[in-house]
Amino acid sequence: MTDIQKYFAPTSLDQALDCLRDGDVTILAGGTDLMPQSQAGKLRFKRTLMNIRRVPELIGVARQGGDICIGALTTVTELMDNALVQRHLPVLVDACDHFASDQIRNSATLGGNICNASPAGDTLIPLLVLDARVELASKNKGRLNWRSLPLAEFFTGPGKTRRAPNELLVGVRIPLPEPGGVAYFHKFGTRPALDISTISIGIAGTLRRGALFNVRVAFGAVAPTVVRAPRTEQALEGQRLDPHSIAQVAEVARDEVTPIDDLRASAWYRKELIHNMTKRMLDHVAHA
Amino acid sequence: MGVAEKIRFIQRDSLIGKRIVKMDAPEKIEGKTRYIHDISLPGQLHGKILRSARVHARIKSIDVSAARALPGVHAVITAADVPDQRPIGVARDHLPLKSDKVRSQRDEIAAVAADSEEIANQALKLIKVEYEDLPILSDPRDALKRGAVLIHPEPHGADGSDEHLKKGAPVAFTGKPDNIAMRFDYAHGDVAQGEAESDVVIEDTFQLHYVTHCCMGVSGIIAEFDASGNLLMYSNTQVPFLHKREFADYLNMDPARIRIIQPPIGGGFGSKLDIYPFEVICVFLARAAKRPVKLLFTREEEFLASPTRQPVLLTLRSGCKKDGTLTFRQVNTLHDNGAYTSWGATTPFVMMQTFSSLYRVPHCDYHTVAVYTNNPYAGSFRGYGNLQATFAIEQHMDMLAEAIGMDPFDFRLKNAQEAGEVTGQGMSFKSCGFKECLNTVAIRSEYQNKRKANQARQKAPGVIKRGIGMASMLHVGGGAKIYPSDGCGTILKLDDFANVTLITGASEIGQGSETVLSQLVCEELGLPMSALTVVNNDTAITPWDVGVHASRTTFIAGNSAIGAAKKAKVKILAAAAKKFECPEADLDLRGGWVIKAATGEALIDLPRLLRSLHFTDKAELVMTTFYYEPPSVHQDKAYKGDVSAAYAWATQAVEVEVDTETGIVRMLKVTCAHDVGRVLNRLGIEGQIEGGVVMGQGYALTENLMIENGVMKNPNFRDYKLVTAPEIPEMDISFIESMDGEGPQGAKGVGEAPAICIAAATANAIYNATGVRMYGLPFTPERIYRALHGKSEKPSWKPL
Amino acid sequence: MSLMHDIAFTLNGVKRGATVRVDMSALDMLREVVGLTGTKYGCGEGECGACTIQVDGLSINSCLMFAVDCHGREVVTIEGLADDPASGRAAALRDAFVEHGAVQCGFCTPGMMMQASHLLDKHPHADEAGIKRGIEGNICRCTGYKKIVDAIVDVSKQERGA
Repeated sequence: MTDIQKYFAPTSLDQALDCLRDGDVTILAGGTDLMPQSQAGKLRFKRTLMNIRRVPELIGVARQGGDICIGALTTVTELMDNALVQRHLPVLVDACDHFASDQIRNSATLGGNICNASPAGDTLIPLLVLDARVELASKNKGRLNWRSLPLAEFFTGPGKTRRAPNELLVGVRIPLPEPGGVAYFHKFGTRPALDISTISIGIAGTLRRGALFNVRVAFGAVAPTVVRAPRTEQALEGQRLDPHSIAQVAEVARDEVTPIDDLRASAWYRKELIHNMTKRMLDHVAHA
Repeated sequence: MGVAEKIRFIQRDSLIGKRIVKMDAPEKIEGKTRYIHDISLPGQLHGKILRSARVHARIKSIDVSAARALPGVHAVITAADVPDQRPIGVARDHLPLKSDKVRSQRDEIAAVAADSEEIANQALKLIKVEYEDLPILSDPRDALKRGAVLIHPEPHGADGSDEHLKKGAPVAFTGKPDNIAMRFDYAHGDVAQGEAESDVVIEDTFQLHYVTHCCMGVSGIIAEFDASGNLLMYSNTQVPFLHKREFADYLNMDPARIRIIQPPIGGGFGSKLDIYPFEVICVFLARAAKRPVKLLFTREEEFLASPTRQPVLLTLRSGCKKDGTLTFRQVNTLHDNGAYTSWGATTPFVMMQTFSSLYRVPHCDYHTVAVYTNNPYAGSFRGYGNLQATFAIEQHMDMLAEAIGMDPFDFRLKNAQEAGEVTGQGMSFKSCGFKECLNTVAIRSEYQNKRKANQARQKAPGVIKRGIGMASMLHVGGGAKIYPSDGCGTILKLDDFANVTLITGASEIGQGSETVLSQLVCEELGLPMSALTVVNNDTAITPWDVGVHASRTTFIAGNSAIGAAKKAKVKILAAAAKKFECPEADLDLRGGWVIKAATGEALIDLPRLLRSLHFTDKAELVMTTFYYEPPSVHQDKAYKGDVSAAYAWATQAVEVEVDTETGIVRMLKVTCAHDVGRVLNRLGIEGQIEGGVVMGQGYALTENLMIENGVMKNPNFRDYKLVTAPEIPEMDISFIESMDGEGPQGAKGVGEAPAICIAAATANAIYNATGVRMYGLPFTPERIYRALHGKSEKPSWKPL
Repeated sequence: MSLMHDIAFTLNGVKRGATVRVDMSALDMLREVVGLTGTKYGCGEGECGACTIQVDGLSINSCLMFAVDCHGREVVTIEGLADDPASGRAAALRDAFVEHGAVQCGFCTPGMMMQASHLLDKHPHADEAGIKRGIEGNICRCTGYKKIVDAIVDVSKQERGA
C-alpha cells in the first residue's frame, strides 16, 4: 500500500516542471535508488509519482563552448560509452567502471546519483574535482527559471541537496580540462565494483614541472556528504611532488577528514586509508 | 531373412570418470524449473510472520484484532491460538509461536494468512505487541556468569521429574539452573602424558565468526490439508523422511498422513536439515484458514531467521617432539548456542573427529560447552564444525613446525596417516590418500620453495607481499552413522523399451546426485544416460533415505542404486542365458545390448529381450529393490567407533597477495588435491570442488554476519559480502583415486570437503607473507591492517 | 487500495498490456501479473542479479525497475531468450552452459544467461577478465563461477572463429 494517488510520465521539461510546481512529487528516473529505499521503508512516496525518463531535455551529452554538458538522464553506462566523456573526462569513465554492476549501470542515471547525494557516491567524486556545476530548472508564474550552482555547494547532508521541491535537476556542466590537466580517482575496495565505498579519493589539477596547480581534491565516505578537501588542496598546490612533500600532503589529508565508525569501517581505518591512498595516488602522479 | 545378418560388436565404453552433463541443466537454463517460489496451488493464501521487535523481552500482550478485521485476511494466529503446539528442534527447546517471551531478534510472535502478500504485510503492521525488555546476553562468556539472566528459565516439573517432556507436553524444555544448552567431552589416551613427552607445547585461542548459507533461493514452504485431513507439504527439506516423522510428532498426527514433496531447491548447503518455526507455523495457518498456504521469506528474513554457521571460541593446546612427532591436543571450545538449539550445538561430533584424527595424535582431550545467548542460533552448514576445528589445528601444525625448525610440509607428511591405520577415536582408514594429497599439492604448488622465498621477502621493501599456506582436512566420506540407520533405498524398473526409472530416497540439492546415480545405473546396465528417469522427491513414492548430509549421497545412494541395478542385471542375464543356452557368466550388458562378454558380439538388444520377457504366458517385468546400509557402526557413549564406511582427505595450498597499506588480501591461486576414492562424474565433481573452494574463500576473506547486542547489522547482500566472479582464485585441482573398497565404483563423498581447509591455508599464507598470525576470522582488510599495525587483540579464553 | 495503472509493452516479441500497481517492480509484474516465473527473486535490492532481464537491449535488474516504466519498451526475459530462433548466440550459450557444467542448483542461471547474453551482445569477443567483470553483478553460491565463466568464454571464442 502506498500513498501514491497519481502517476504521471511527462514528455517535456515544461510538463515536468508544471507537475513539480503543483507539489508533493516523488521523481522516478532509473529507479535504482528509489525502489530499494521505498521497499525498505526508508522513503515514503509522495502523492504524485512522476516518471521523467521520457523528458528529452534531460537526455544527451554535448559540448557547449568550453563545457561538456551531460543531461541528468544519462545513465552510468552511457557516460562510460560516450566518446566526449572518454576523450575529455576519462576520470569519470574510471569512476563509472567501479560503480555497482553492469545491470545497475545500464539504468542508474547521473541525475539520480547526484540527487541521491550519497556520502559515498562514486560518480560524485570525479564531478567534484572536475568543478562540475548542476543546472536546475523550475517554473514560476508560467516562466521557466534556471539556476546553476557548483556541485561542491549542492550537497547539504546525507541524501540532502539544495534542490528545491519545485526544481528539476536538468544536467551538469563540466569545464573542459586545461591542457596538462590530469585527474585521478581511487575507490578502496576488495571488489572491482558492487561495493559501497569505504573511502574514495579524487585528485585533479594541471601538472606542470612535476607539480600540481589548480588542485582539486575530493573525498568520499569520510563525511556526511562527498567533500572537497581545502587544506589538502592547499598543501598540494604548486608543490613539487617528491617523497617528502607527498608524505606531508598525506598527513594533512589524514588530519583533515573526520569520518565516523560504521559497520563498514572504523574512523581510524578510514583515516589510515585516506593517508595511504592519497600517498599512493600522488606517487603515481609523480611517476606519470 | 535370407541374407545372413551381419554380426555386430559393441565396444567397451565406460561412463566412469567421464564428463557427464547434469540432467536437469537444460530445463534450468531455460528458466522452466519450478522452484518452490514458482509453485502456486489453486486457492492458496499467502502467509507472513510477525517477528519480534526486541531481542530479549517478556511479551505483555498481543492485539491482533485490527489485523483480523482487515479485508482479505483469512487467519491470524498467535501462541494462544495453538495451545497444543509442541517445542521443536534438536533439544526440543523451541516453540514455533512464542507465548511468554522472545529470546532473539527473529522470534516468531504471530502469523497471518491472506489473499495476497501485500495484504498479509499490511496485516502484520496492524498487530500490536507490548514488550517488557529483559537484559540482553550477547556474549556466551557473560551468559555463563553466576547471576546471569536465564534464557530458558522454565522449571522442571514440580516433582523434579521430566514428565512435561513427554509427548503432548506444551512447555518448552530446558529447566536448567544455568544457560548451558549442551556439553561434549571426549578423550583418548592421556594428555598429561602427551604433554610430558613434548619438547614444544603451544597454546592459543582462535575465534570463529558468524556466516550464513545465503542460498540464492530463499526459504519457503507450502502446506495443504486435503479433504481427509492428510497433510501435504511442498518443502525444500534435505531430510524428507526424518521430517515426515518429526512433523507428525510436532503436529500430533499419524506420520502416514503426512506427505512431503520436494520441489527443486535453490541451494541447500546444510541449511535445510532442521525443522524451523516458519514451517510449523505455515501448517498451523493452513489448518486455521482451511486453505493451502504458501509462505516465502524475503531476503532480509532469510538472513534474520535462518540458522548460521556455528561461531566458536576455541582454545587449543598442542605439542610435539623435536623430531616432529605430534604428541597431544587439548581443546576447549565455547559455542554460542543462540536462543534455541539447532544442529550447530552438535558440531562437536564432527570437530572431535578432526581434533582426534587429523594427523596421528596419540593423546587427545576435548570439551565443548554450548551456551544460550540472545543471538541467532547456528545450524548445520557445509563442513559442520570442521572448518572451525581445522582453522585451529592446521595453524598449530605450522606453528609447531616453526618451533622445532622443521619444514611445515615435512612435518605434516611425517604425521599423516596411511591406509590400514585406526585412530584413537576408532576411525578405521581403509582407503587413505592423505599422503598422496600432501605430496601432490606440495609439488604442483611449489609450496616449499615459494614458502621460503616469501618468508625471505617479508622484511624487504615493497608494499605487496606474497604468501603461500597449506592445510589438510579429514571428513567422513562414506556416510555417518548418527541416526538409527544411515541407509538408502532404491526401486528400479525397466520398461519395454529399456528405459529405466530410478526411484531413490536420495534428494537432489543441486549437487548433481540425480546425474551421478543415473550414471552408476547406466554403467551397470550398459545403457546411455538418456535412458534414465529419476524420481526422488515424493515421500509417498520413494523409499527411505536418511537425507542429504555428511557428504553421503554418492556413497550410500550410489551403492543402493548399484545394488538394485545389479539385481536387475542378474534377472536380465538369467533370461538371456536361457534364451541363448549358455552360462550367465558368458554374457554381459553393453551399449543397450546383451553381448557375449568375451568378444563383445551383440546377441539381442535389451528392449527386445525385455519385451520377450513381458509378453509371454509367464510374464516377467524387471523391477528390483535394494536397501543399502553401510558397514559403519554407531559410536559408543564415549564417541568412539568407526562411524563412517570411508573417510576422505584433501590438501589445499592457498597463495595470497597482501597489500600492507590497505590490508586487502587477494586469493591468487588454490592448489588442491582431493582423495575422492574414484572420480565418477568429472564435470560434477569439479563443480563441487570449485564451488566449495569459493565458499571457503568467502568464509576466510569476505563474509561476516555482524551481530551486535543480538541485533544483526547486515542482513542484506550489500553489506554481507559474498564472493563475486572477478574475485575468484585460479584453481588447480587434482584427484587422488584411492579406490575405496566399499564405495560405489570406489568413490567416496566430497560435498563438504573443498570448503573445509581454505581458511586455515589462507591464515598460514598470510603468516608466510607478513609474519603476522591471524587468530580470528574473517580476514577483511581492516582486520588484517589492524593486525599488521599491532592494533588488534589476540583472542584469549580459558574455560572456567 | 494502491493506485493501478495500465501499460502496453512488448514482452518476448509479443505486444501485450498489463495493469499494475504503480509501485510494483517489473520483477513482481513478470512473476505475478504476467505469470512468467523464470525471472527470480534473489534479494530485491539489485545486489545479486537473479532478476536480470533485458529492456530495450540492455540488461537490467527487474527488482529495481518500476513496472510502469516498461510502458512502450521491449522487454525480454529468460523465457524469451530461450525461444528466440533468430539468436544463434542464445543456443550457443545454452549448449555451453550445459557442456561446461555451469549449472548446479540453477537458481542464478536465468539471470546469468540474460547477463551473459547482453555481455556478448555488447562485447562479442570479451576475454576471461572482461567476462568476469561482466557478470560481477550476478551472484552464484554453488559453482564458484569458474564453469560459468568457461562457458561464456567458449561462446565468445566461437564468435571470434577461434
